[in-house]
Amino acid sequence: MSDSAAKTHDQYVLPPSVVSRLDVSRLLSELERVDNELTSEQIRHKDEDGYQPSVPTLSGQLSDFLSANDLTLDNDHQRSDIISQVRQLKDTVPVVHMTFATQADHESLSTLVSWFRETAHPQTVVAVGLQPGLVAGVYMRTPNKVHDFSMRARLKGSRGALVGQLEGLRGGQ
Amino acid sequence: MGLFQQKQPAKKSTDDQIADNEQHFFDEYFREELRNHGRWYFEKVIAENGKLFKKELDATIERVDGELKTYLTEQVNVMVEQIGADLKGHVTSKIEQQVTEHSKAMQEAQDAALNEMNKSVESLREQHKTLTDSLTSSVAEQEQRTKSSIDEYNARMEAMKEAQDTALASINESTQALKQQQQELTERLEKNVTEQQNSLVGAFEGNMAQIVEQYLLEALGDQYDVKAQLPAIMKQMEDNKQAIVDDMKL
Repeated sequence: MSDSAAKTHDQYVLPPSVVSRLDVSRLLSELERVDNELTSEQIRHKDEDGYQPSVPTLSGQLSDFLSANDLTLDNDHQRSDIISQVRQLKDTVPVVHMTFATQADHESLSTLVSWFRETAHPQTVVAVGLQPGLVAGVYMRTPNKVHDFSMRARLKGSRGALVGQLEGLRGGQ
Repeated sequence: MGLFQQKQPAKKSTDDQIADNEQHFFDEYFREELRNHGRWYFEKVIAENGKLFKKELDATIERVDGELKTYLTEQVNVMVEQIGADLKGHVTSKIEQQVTEHSKAMQEAQDAALNEMNKSVESLREQHKTLTDSLTSSVAEQEQRTKSSIDEYNARMEAMKEAQDTALASINESTQALKQQQQELTERLEKNVTEQQNSLVGAFEGNMAQIVEQYLLEALGDQYDVKAQLPAIMKQMEDNKQAIVDDMKL
């Protein structure tokens, strides 16, 4: 546990269930809430020798995050350190904006995020958008570039061919 | 009566009896009774006489009234007859006098009017004669003028006919020129229509591409969920993997 306490935010591993920056914000909020509850319990029972406050029930994302990084919330110093590091993590994680034509399910997002974490950066998260005009595919924005893999972009690219075919059709008539 | 029913107490002498009767006749009561009786009788006589007098007076007045009415009627009739006769005579004489005067005045006026009418007839005859002469001369003059007008009209008709022929020739020439212009315009219009048609068809084809594209966007929207698209997306990401990685590692 002493090794894990020494981890900095850039060394944290994000589990597949943590997909977006919003999920990271939720992790931070839950950590702060748990820390407040445990601190209150300790203050309330400070006169009792050997009292160990029980950790409240945690969400799946936080449990995954703690187990993925081998962290515990027993020590208040560790908790403070984890909160501080997660706060920094929230501000520094690389974000990829992905806009879909339909609502994206969590499983697909996890797959995509895993691909980014394996390929580009292990702490990558996505910001999901919705634009039905894309028809299909994804409109992706990395920090400095835009990658339009949507059906709309393909149709736009094929407009010249469509006009050519219509002209051919007219000539045939 | 009581006086005579009293019992004779004793036989008296006639003188005594007369004296008693006289005394009796002349006592107060008897005198009062006599006075009353006399008053009543007097009033009765007066009333009867008054009634008779009134009756006779009424009869007299009625008779006098009838006689007076008859007399007055006769007098009035006489006077009315006399006045009527006088008035009739006076009015008749007045009317006769006025009729005479009026007849005289009317005769004079009739004579004057007859004179005037004779003068007027004479004057009208003279005027009629003058007018007849004037009309005769005017008709002759009018005939002359009409003849000259007809000649002038004929000359104008000739000139108009010549002008009409010239205008007709000009119109024919214009019609020919217009036909030629119409043909040129038709050719130019056809050319323009063809050009316009080509331009519109070109624009239509451009718009048609947009329409087809829009149709595809509408038709394919919401047809595929992300899970179904995931292999294709992953493939494209793999194809662009290097660019994505390079950008994120900067």
